[in-house]
Amino acid sequence: MATEQRARRYSIGIAVDWFFFVFAGLASVWLAYLSLTDTFNVGWWGFVFALAFWVLLAYLVLPRLHRILTTIYVPDYFIGRARTSDGLLGDPVNLAFLGEAEQIHAAMAAAGWTRADPVTLGSSWRIVSSTLTRRSYGEAPVSPLFLFSRQQDFAYQQEVDGNPAQRHHVRFWICPDGWLLPGGYRVDWLAAGTFDTAVGLSLFTLQVTHRIDADTDIERDHIVKTLTSGDARVAVTILQDFSTGYHARNGGGDSIRTDGDLPIVDVRPLPAVAP
Amino acid sequence: MTDAPDKRPAFEPATRLLKPTAYDPAMRRPTSTVAGAVLVLLRVVVGVIWIGSVVLELPTVLSQIDVSFDDVAATPQLVEATLVVILIVIGAFLLFDAILAILILRGHNWARVVIMSFSALSISASFIQWWAEGQEITITTTLLQLGLDILILLALSSRSAAAYARRNERH
Repeated sequence: MATEQRARRYSIGIAVDWFFFVFAGLASVWLAYLSLTDTFNVGWWGFVFALAFWVLLAYLVLPRLHRILTTIYVPDYFIGRARTSDGLLGDPVNLAFLGEAEQIHAAMAAAGWTRADPVTLGSSWRIVSSTLTRRSYGEAPVSPLFLFSRQQDFAYQQEVDGNPAQRHHVRFWICPDGWLLPGGYRVDWLAAGTFDTAVGLSLFTLQVTHRIDADTDIERDHIVKTLTSGDARVAVTILQDFSTGYHARNGGGDSIRTDGDLPIVDVRPLPAVAP
Repeated sequence: MTDAPDKRPAFEPATRLLKPTAYDPAMRRPTSTVAGAVLVLLRVVVGVIWIGSVVLELPTVLSQIDVSFDDVAATPQLVEATLVVILIVIGAFLLFDAILAILILRGHNWARVVIMSFSALSISASFIQWWAEGQEITITTTLLQLGLDILILLALSSRSAAAYARRNERH
Protein backbone atom coordinates (compact mmCIF):
# COMPACT_ATOMS: atom_id res chain seq x y z
CA MET A 1 0.00 0.00 0.00
CA ALA A 2 2.85 2.35 0.86
CA THR A 3 4.33 2.10 -2.62
CA GLU A 4 0.95 2.73 -4.17
CA GLN A 5 0.58 5.95 -2.20
CA ARG A 6 3.98 7.18 -3.26
CA ALA A 7 3.20 6.46 -6.91
CA ARG A 8 1.45 9.12 -8.95
CA ARG A 9 -2.28 8.78 -8.66
CA TYR A 10 -3.02 9.43 -12.33
CA SER A 11 -1.33 9.92 -15.65
CA ILE A 12 -2.20 11.95 -18.76
CA GLY A 13 -1.29 9.01 -20.96
CA ILE A 14 -3.84 6.81 -19.21
CA ALA A 15 -6.50 9.50 -19.77
CA VAL A 16 -5.64 9.43 -23.49
CA ASP A 17 -5.92 5.63 -23.41
CA TRP A 18 -9.36 5.94 -21.83
CA PHE A 19 -10.48 8.37 -24.51
CA PHE A 20 -9.55 5.88 -27.24
CA PHE A 21 -11.02 3.01 -25.22
CA VAL A 22 -14.45 4.66 -25.02
CA PHE A 23 -14.22 6.11 -28.54
CA ALA A 24 -13.52 2.63 -29.95
CA GLY A 25 -16.49 1.27 -27.97
CA LEU A 26 -18.86 3.85 -29.49
CA ALA A 27 -17.39 3.37 -32.96
CA SER A 28 -17.90 -0.39 -32.72
CA VAL A 29 -21.57 0.15 -31.83
CA TRP A 30 -21.89 2.21 -35.00
CA LEU A 31 -20.10 -0.47 -37.05
CA ALA A 32 -22.45 -3.13 -35.68
CA TYR A 33 -25.41 -0.94 -36.64
CA LEU A 34 -24.02 -0.41 -40.16
CA SER A 35 -23.42 -4.13 -40.69
CA LEU A 36 -26.91 -4.92 -39.40
CA THR A 37 -28.61 -2.49 -41.78
CA ASP A 38 -26.49 -3.77 -44.67
CA THR A 39 -27.68 -7.31 -43.86
CA PHE A 40 -31.02 -6.56 -45.49
CA ASN A 41 -29.53 -5.08 -48.65
CA VAL A 42 -27.41 -7.92 -49.99
CA GLY A 43 -29.87 -10.76 -50.51
CA TRP A 44 -28.61 -14.26 -49.68
CA TRP A 45 -25.24 -12.89 -48.65
CA GLY A 46 -27.15 -11.36 -45.77
CA PHE A 47 -26.55 -14.39 -43.57
CA VAL A 48 -22.79 -13.80 -43.80
CA PHE A 49 -23.43 -10.24 -42.66
CA ALA A 50 -25.70 -11.48 -39.88
CA LEU A 51 -22.91 -13.78 -38.71
CA ALA A 52 -20.40 -10.92 -38.90
CA PHE A 53 -22.84 -8.79 -36.93
CA TRP A 54 -23.09 -11.42 -34.18
CA VAL A 55 -19.29 -11.88 -34.00
CA LEU A 56 -18.85 -8.10 -33.80
CA LEU A 57 -21.54 -7.75 -31.16
CA ALA A 58 -20.57 -10.72 -29.00
CA TYR A 59 -16.80 -10.55 -29.13
CA LEU A 60 -16.04 -6.85 -29.57
CA VAL A 61 -18.93 -4.48 -28.89
CA LEU A 62 -20.62 -5.96 -25.81
CA PRO A 63 -17.32 -6.87 -24.06
CA ARG A 64 -16.06 -3.32 -24.62
CA LEU A 65 -19.30 -1.78 -23.30
CA HIS A 66 -19.29 -4.12 -20.29
CA ARG A 67 -15.63 -3.29 -19.67
CA ILE A 68 -16.42 0.44 -19.61
CA LEU A 69 -19.53 0.09 -17.44
CA THR A 70 -18.22 -2.51 -14.97
CA THR A 71 -15.18 -0.34 -14.31
CA ILE A 72 -17.66 2.17 -12.98
CA TYR A 73 -20.13 -0.01 -11.10
CA VAL A 74 -18.41 -3.23 -9.96
CA PRO A 75 -16.27 -2.74 -6.84
CA ASP A 76 -12.64 -3.70 -7.27
CA TYR A 77 -12.07 -5.06 -3.76
CA PHE A 78 -12.75 -8.62 -2.59
CA ILE A 79 -16.47 -9.44 -2.62
CA GLY A 80 -16.19 -13.21 -2.80
CA ARG A 81 -16.58 -13.33 -6.57
CA ALA A 82 -14.11 -13.66 -9.40
CA ARG A 83 -14.55 -11.34 -12.38
CA THR A 84 -14.47 -12.17 -16.09
CA SER A 85 -12.07 -10.41 -18.43
CA ASP A 86 -14.94 -8.04 -19.28
CA GLY A 87 -15.25 -7.11 -15.60
CA LEU A 88 -18.54 -8.94 -15.07
CA LEU A 89 -19.04 -10.96 -11.89
CA GLY A 90 -17.83 -14.52 -12.45
CA ASP A 91 -17.73 -17.71 -10.43
CA PRO A 92 -18.12 -17.47 -6.64
CA VAL A 93 -14.97 -17.95 -4.55
CA ASN A 94 -15.92 -21.06 -2.56
CA LEU A 95 -12.65 -22.63 -1.38
CA ALA A 96 -9.55 -21.50 0.48
CA PHE A 97 -6.19 -23.29 0.75
CA LEU A 98 -3.26 -23.18 3.14
CA GLY A 99 0.12 -24.29 1.79
CA GLU A 100 2.62 -23.89 -1.03
CA ALA A 101 1.77 -24.22 -4.73
CA GLU A 102 3.73 -27.51 -4.93
CA GLN A 103 1.71 -28.94 -2.04
CA ILE A 104 -1.54 -28.03 -3.80
CA HIS A 105 -0.25 -29.64 -7.01
CA ALA A 106 0.57 -32.81 -5.07
CA ALA A 107 -2.83 -32.88 -3.32
CA MET A 108 -4.77 -32.24 -6.55
CA ALA A 109 -2.80 -34.91 -8.43
CA ALA A 110 -3.46 -37.41 -5.63
CA ALA A 111 -7.16 -36.51 -5.77
CA GLY A 112 -7.35 -37.37 -9.48
CA TRP A 113 -7.39 -33.88 -11.01
CA THR A 114 -5.67 -32.77 -14.22
CA ARG A 115 -3.94 -29.42 -14.51
CA ALA A 116 -5.39 -27.22 -17.27
CA ASP A 117 -3.17 -25.99 -20.11
CA PRO A 118 -2.72 -22.23 -20.37
CA VAL A 119 -4.81 -20.50 -23.05
CA THR A 120 -2.70 -20.33 -26.22
CA LEU A 121 -3.47 -20.43 -29.92
CA GLY A 122 -2.61 -24.13 -30.03
CA SER A 123 -4.72 -25.13 -27.03
CA SER A 124 -7.65 -22.98 -28.26
CA TRP A 125 -7.57 -24.76 -31.60
CA ARG A 126 -7.48 -28.14 -29.80
CA ILE A 127 -10.59 -27.13 -27.84
CA VAL A 128 -12.48 -26.32 -31.04
CA SER A 129 -11.40 -29.49 -32.82
CA SER A 130 -12.05 -31.75 -29.82
CA THR A 131 -15.51 -30.21 -29.35
CA LEU A 132 -16.39 -30.70 -33.02
CA THR A 133 -15.10 -34.27 -33.14
CA ARG A 134 -16.27 -35.03 -29.58
CA ARG A 135 -12.82 -36.27 -28.69
CA SER A 136 -11.49 -35.99 -25.18
CA TYR A 137 -9.10 -33.19 -24.21
CA GLY A 138 -8.28 -33.78 -20.56
CA GLU A 139 -5.97 -30.78 -20.16
CA ALA A 140 -8.30 -28.30 -21.92
CA PRO A 141 -7.60 -24.74 -20.77
CA VAL A 142 -10.17 -22.87 -18.70
CA SER A 143 -11.16 -19.30 -19.48
CA PRO A 144 -9.38 -16.60 -17.50
CA LEU A 145 -11.16 -15.24 -14.43
CA PHE A 146 -9.77 -12.45 -12.31
CA LEU A 147 -9.37 -12.03 -8.57
CA PHE A 148 -7.23 -9.34 -6.92
CA SER A 149 -7.09 -7.94 -10.51
CA ARG A 150 -5.03 -11.00 -11.49
CA GLN A 151 -5.76 -13.95 -13.73
CA GLN A 152 -5.86 -17.34 -12.01
CA ASP A 153 -2.41 -18.76 -11.21
CA PHE A 154 -3.44 -22.24 -12.30
CA ALA A 155 -6.54 -24.37 -12.72
CA TYR A 156 -7.46 -28.03 -12.34
CA GLN A 157 -10.21 -30.04 -13.95
CA GLN A 158 -11.82 -33.44 -14.28
CA GLU A 159 -13.53 -34.53 -17.46
CA VAL A 160 -16.87 -36.30 -17.29
CA ASP A 161 -17.07 -39.35 -19.60
CA GLY A 162 -14.67 -37.76 -22.09
CA ASN A 163 -17.32 -35.16 -22.99
CA PRO A 164 -15.71 -31.76 -23.61
CA ALA A 165 -18.96 -29.94 -22.80
CA GLN A 166 -19.06 -31.18 -19.20
CA ARG A 167 -16.27 -30.92 -16.68
CA HIS A 168 -15.41 -30.19 -13.10
CA HIS A 169 -13.01 -27.31 -12.78
CA VAL A 170 -11.43 -25.16 -10.10
CA ARG A 171 -9.26 -22.05 -10.46
CA PHE A 172 -6.63 -20.95 -7.92
CA TRP A 173 -5.39 -17.47 -7.03
CA ILE A 174 -2.59 -16.76 -4.57
CA CYS A 175 -3.55 -14.12 -2.00
CA PRO A 176 -1.50 -10.92 -1.76
CA ASP A 177 1.05 -10.87 1.07
CA GLY A 178 -0.52 -10.13 4.42
CA TRP A 179 -4.03 -10.25 3.00
CA LEU A 180 -6.76 -11.49 5.35
CA LEU A 181 -10.18 -12.84 4.52
CA PRO A 182 -13.07 -10.66 5.66
CA GLY A 183 -13.32 -11.65 9.33
CA GLY A 184 -9.56 -11.83 9.75
CA TYR A 185 -8.68 -15.38 8.67
CA ARG A 186 -5.35 -15.79 6.97
CA VAL A 187 -5.28 -18.10 3.94
CA ASP A 188 -2.65 -18.54 1.24
CA TRP A 189 -4.87 -19.32 -1.74
CA LEU A 190 -8.44 -18.74 -2.80
CA ALA A 191 -10.17 -20.99 -5.31
CA ALA A 192 -13.41 -21.06 -7.26
CA GLY A 193 -14.83 -24.43 -8.26
CA THR A 194 -17.81 -24.85 -10.60
CA PHE A 195 -19.23 -27.61 -12.78
CA ASP A 196 -19.68 -26.99 -16.51
CA THR A 197 -22.94 -28.58 -17.61
CA ALA A 198 -23.13 -27.69 -21.30
CA VAL A 199 -21.95 -25.30 -23.98
CA GLY A 200 -24.30 -22.36 -24.52
CA LEU A 201 -24.53 -18.65 -25.16
CA SER A 202 -23.64 -16.16 -22.47
CA LEU A 203 -26.59 -14.01 -21.40
CA PHE A 204 -24.55 -10.82 -21.13
CA THR A 205 -22.17 -10.97 -24.08
CA LEU A 206 -23.89 -13.58 -26.34
CA GLN A 207 -20.55 -15.39 -26.62
CA VAL A 208 -20.28 -19.16 -26.84
CA THR A 209 -19.36 -20.32 -23.36
CA HIS A 210 -19.85 -23.09 -20.82
CA ARG A 211 -23.01 -22.99 -18.74
CA ILE A 212 -22.34 -23.87 -15.10
CA ASP A 213 -24.38 -25.87 -12.63
CA ALA A 214 -26.34 -23.48 -10.44
CA ASP A 215 -25.70 -25.43 -7.23
CA THR A 216 -22.04 -24.54 -6.75
CA ASP A 217 -22.03 -26.21 -3.31
CA ILE A 218 -22.15 -29.67 -4.93
CA GLU A 219 -18.96 -28.93 -6.86
CA ARG A 220 -17.28 -27.38 -3.80
CA ASP A 221 -18.07 -30.44 -1.70
CA HIS A 222 -16.95 -32.74 -4.54
CA ILE A 223 -13.55 -31.02 -4.65
CA VAL A 224 -13.12 -31.24 -0.86
CA LYS A 225 -14.19 -34.90 -0.83
CA THR A 226 -11.73 -35.92 -3.57
CA LEU A 227 -8.94 -34.06 -1.78
CA THR A 228 -9.53 -35.63 1.63
CA SER A 229 -9.99 -39.12 0.21
CA GLY A 230 -6.94 -38.65 -2.07
CA ASP A 231 -4.58 -37.98 0.83
CA ALA A 232 -5.46 -38.57 4.48
CA ARG A 233 -3.11 -35.78 5.63
CA VAL A 234 -5.31 -33.09 4.03
CA ALA A 235 -7.26 -31.32 6.79
CA VAL A 236 -10.39 -29.22 6.31
CA THR A 237 -11.95 -26.58 8.53
CA ILE A 238 -15.14 -24.86 7.48
CA LEU A 239 -15.94 -21.18 7.87
CA GLN A 240 -19.69 -21.28 8.20
CA ASP A 241 -21.83 -18.65 6.53
CA PHE A 242 -18.73 -16.99 5.10
CA SER A 243 -20.80 -15.53 2.29
CA THR A 244 -24.37 -15.58 3.44
CA GLY A 245 -26.55 -17.73 1.25
CA TYR A 246 -27.25 -15.69 -1.83
CA HIS A 247 -28.76 -16.01 -5.26
CA ALA A 248 -26.88 -14.43 -8.09
CA ARG A 249 -25.67 -14.85 -11.62
CA ASN A 250 -22.18 -15.48 -12.91
CA GLY A 251 -20.56 -13.75 -15.89
CA GLY A 252 -22.34 -16.03 -18.35
CA GLY A 253 -25.74 -15.26 -16.84
CA ASP A 254 -26.09 -18.61 -15.05
CA SER A 255 -27.76 -18.44 -11.67
CA ILE A 256 -25.78 -19.48 -8.61
CA ARG A 257 -26.97 -20.87 -5.27
CA THR A 258 -24.82 -21.52 -2.24
CA ASP A 259 -25.17 -22.00 1.52
CA GLY A 260 -22.24 -19.62 1.96
CA ASP A 261 -19.82 -21.98 3.74
CA LEU A 262 -16.12 -21.65 2.91
CA PRO A 263 -13.99 -24.78 3.47
CA ILE A 264 -10.34 -24.01 4.26
CA VAL A 265 -8.26 -26.91 2.94
CA ASP A 266 -4.94 -27.34 4.75
CA VAL A 267 -2.37 -29.10 2.52
CA ARG A 268 0.67 -28.04 4.57
CA PRO A 269 1.35 -31.57 5.93
CA LEU A 270 2.09 -32.75 2.37
CA PRO A 271 5.67 -32.77 1.03
CA ALA A 272 6.50 -29.56 -0.82
CA VAL A 273 7.86 -31.48 -3.82
CA ALA A 274 5.67 -33.90 -5.69
CA PRO A 275 6.95 -37.48 -5.09
CA MET B 1 -9.50 9.59 17.73
CA THR B 2 -6.74 11.08 15.58
CA ASP B 3 -5.51 7.57 14.75
CA ALA B 4 -8.87 6.52 13.37
CA PRO B 5 -8.64 5.78 9.65
CA ASP B 6 -10.51 8.02 7.28
CA LYS B 7 -13.98 6.92 6.40
CA ARG B 8 -14.04 5.05 3.12
CA PRO B 9 -16.14 6.92 0.53
CA ALA B 10 -19.12 5.04 -0.84
CA PHE B 11 -17.94 5.61 -4.41
CA GLU B 12 -14.65 4.99 -6.14
CA PRO B 13 -12.73 8.19 -6.90
CA ALA B 14 -12.44 9.09 -10.57
CA THR B 15 -8.64 9.17 -10.31
CA ARG B 16 -8.73 5.41 -9.68
CA LEU B 17 -9.67 5.02 -13.34
CA LEU B 18 -6.50 6.89 -14.28
CA LYS B 19 -4.23 4.65 -12.22
CA PRO B 20 -1.08 3.97 -14.26
CA THR B 21 -0.57 0.49 -15.68
CA ALA B 22 1.84 -1.90 -13.99
CA TYR B 23 5.61 -1.87 -14.62
CA ASP B 24 6.26 -5.26 -16.18
CA PRO B 25 9.09 -5.42 -18.75
CA ALA B 26 8.78 -9.22 -19.02
CA MET B 27 5.12 -9.05 -20.10
CA ARG B 28 4.23 -11.41 -22.97
CA ARG B 29 2.89 -9.77 -26.11
CA PRO B 30 -0.92 -9.96 -25.88
CA THR B 31 -3.14 -11.14 -28.74
CA SER B 32 -4.72 -7.68 -29.03
CA THR B 33 -1.37 -6.07 -29.90
CA VAL B 34 -0.68 -8.73 -32.52
CA ALA B 35 -4.21 -8.40 -33.94
CA GLY B 36 -3.91 -4.60 -34.15
CA ALA B 37 -0.53 -4.73 -35.90
CA VAL B 38 -1.72 -7.45 -38.31
CA LEU B 39 -4.79 -5.37 -39.22
CA VAL B 40 -2.58 -2.34 -39.89
CA LEU B 41 -0.35 -4.51 -42.11
CA LEU B 42 -3.50 -5.77 -43.85
CA ARG B 43 -4.41 -2.16 -44.57
CA VAL B 44 -0.94 -1.67 -46.07
CA VAL B 45 -1.32 -4.79 -48.24
CA VAL B 46 -4.71 -3.58 -49.53
CA GLY B 47 -3.12 -0.21 -50.32
CA VAL B 48 -0.21 -1.80 -52.17
CA ILE B 49 -2.61 -3.93 -54.24
CA TRP B 50 -4.59 -0.79 -55.05
CA ILE B 51 -1.43 1.05 -56.18
CA GLY B 52 -0.46 -1.96 -58.27
CA SER B 53 -3.83 -2.03 -60.01
CA VAL B 54 -3.64 1.70 -60.73
CA VAL B 55 -0.12 1.36 -62.20
CA LEU B 56 -1.24 -1.56 -64.38
CA GLU B 57 -4.16 0.44 -65.71
CA LEU B 58 -2.19 3.66 -65.97
CA PRO B 59 -2.41 3.98 -69.78
CA THR B 60 -6.20 3.46 -69.72
CA VAL B 61 -6.63 5.85 -66.84
CA LEU B 62 -4.52 8.48 -68.54
CA SER B 63 -6.50 8.31 -71.75
CA GLN B 64 -9.72 8.81 -69.81
CA ILE B 65 -8.53 11.78 -67.82
CA ASP B 66 -9.24 15.05 -69.53
CA VAL B 67 -7.82 17.78 -67.41
CA SER B 68 -7.83 21.30 -68.62
CA PHE B 69 -7.62 24.42 -66.58
CA ASP B 70 -8.68 27.83 -67.63
CA ASP B 71 -5.49 28.86 -69.34
CA VAL B 72 -3.18 25.85 -69.04
CA ALA B 73 -3.88 22.80 -71.20
CA ALA B 74 -2.56 19.76 -69.31
CA THR B 75 -0.26 17.68 -71.43
CA PRO B 76 -0.42 13.88 -70.97
CA GLN B 77 3.12 14.06 -69.55
CA LEU B 78 2.04 16.51 -66.90
CA VAL B 79 -0.95 14.37 -65.90
CA GLU B 80 1.20 11.27 -65.73
CA ALA B 81 3.83 13.03 -63.62
CA THR B 82 1.13 14.27 -61.23
CA LEU B 83 -0.33 10.76 -60.89
CA VAL B 84 3.11 9.29 -60.20
CA VAL B 85 3.76 11.91 -57.54
CA ILE B 86 0.39 11.14 -55.92
CA LEU B 87 1.13 7.42 -55.98
CA ILE B 88 4.56 7.99 -54.44
CA VAL B 89 3.04 10.08 -51.64
CA ILE B 90 0.44 7.36 -50.96
CA GLY B 91 3.20 4.75 -51.08
CA ALA B 92 5.22 6.72 -48.53
CA PHE B 93 2.21 6.82 -46.23
CA LEU B 94 1.79 3.06 -46.61
CA LEU B 95 5.47 2.54 -45.80
CA PHE B 96 5.08 4.75 -42.72
CA ASP B 97 2.00 2.69 -41.77
CA ALA B 98 3.96 -0.55 -42.11
CA ILE B 99 6.84 0.80 -40.00
CA LEU B 100 4.38 1.89 -37.31
CA ALA B 101 2.79 -1.59 -37.34
CA ILE B 102 6.19 -3.17 -36.69
CA LEU B 103 6.94 -0.63 -33.93
CA ILE B 104 3.56 -1.52 -32.35
CA LEU B 105 4.52 -5.19 -32.45
CA ARG B 106 7.76 -4.30 -30.68
CA GLY B 107 5.72 -2.42 -28.10
CA HIS B 108 6.36 1.27 -28.75
CA ASN B 109 3.57 3.31 -27.21
CA TRP B 110 3.93 6.42 -29.42
CA ALA B 111 3.38 4.33 -32.57
CA ARG B 112 0.20 2.93 -31.02
CA VAL B 113 -1.06 6.41 -30.13
CA VAL B 114 -0.28 7.76 -33.64
CA ILE B 115 -2.14 4.90 -35.35
CA MET B 116 -5.09 5.26 -32.95
CA SER B 117 -5.25 9.02 -33.55
CA PHE B 118 -5.32 8.60 -37.33
CA SER B 119 -7.97 5.87 -37.04
CA ALA B 120 -10.09 8.05 -34.75
CA LEU B 121 -9.83 11.00 -37.18
CA SER B 122 -10.75 8.81 -40.14
CA ILE B 123 -13.71 7.28 -38.27
CA SER B 124 -14.91 10.74 -37.18
CA ALA B 125 -14.74 12.00 -40.76
CA SER B 126 -16.77 9.00 -42.01
CA PHE B 127 -19.29 9.48 -39.23
CA ILE B 128 -19.78 13.16 -40.01
CA GLN B 129 -20.25 12.39 -43.71
CA TRP B 130 -22.73 9.64 -42.86
CA TRP B 131 -24.66 11.58 -40.23
CA ALA B 132 -24.66 15.13 -41.60
CA GLU B 133 -24.36 14.53 -45.33
CA GLY B 134 -26.21 11.24 -45.57
CA GLN B 135 -23.41 9.44 -47.38
CA GLU B 136 -24.18 5.72 -47.76
CA ILE B 137 -21.74 3.33 -46.11
CA THR B 138 -22.24 -0.16 -47.53
CA ILE B 139 -20.06 -3.09 -48.44
CA THR B 140 -19.71 -1.78 -51.99
CA THR B 141 -18.50 1.61 -50.79
CA THR B 142 -16.40 2.20 -47.69
CA LEU B 143 -17.75 -0.26 -45.09
CA LEU B 144 -14.67 -2.52 -45.25
CA GLN B 145 -12.23 0.34 -44.87
CA LEU B 146 -14.25 1.83 -42.02
CA GLY B 147 -14.55 -1.58 -40.37
CA LEU B 148 -10.78 -2.07 -40.60
CA ASP B 149 -10.21 1.32 -38.95
CA ILE B 150 -12.62 0.54 -36.12
CA LEU B 151 -11.16 -2.94 -35.55
CA ILE B 152 -7.64 -1.47 -35.42
CA LEU B 153 -8.80 1.12 -32.88
CA LEU B 154 -10.61 -1.55 -30.81
CA ALA B 155 -7.58 -3.85 -30.72
CA LEU B 156 -4.99 -1.19 -29.97
CA SER B 157 -7.08 0.63 -27.35
CA SER B 158 -7.74 -2.56 -25.36
CA ARG B 159 -6.29 -2.74 -21.88
CA SER B 160 -3.86 -5.53 -22.63
CA ALA B 161 -2.45 -3.65 -25.64
CA ALA B 162 -2.13 -0.50 -23.53
CA ALA B 163 -0.45 -2.38 -20.67
CA TYR B 164 1.98 -3.98 -23.15
CA ALA B 165 2.86 -0.66 -24.77
CA ARG B 166 3.44 0.88 -21.33
CA ARG B 167 5.17 -2.13 -19.75
CA ASN B 168 8.45 -0.23 -19.35
CA GLU B 169 6.92 2.90 -17.77
CA ARG B 170 7.82 3.47 -14.15
CA HIS B 171 5.70 5.77 -12.03
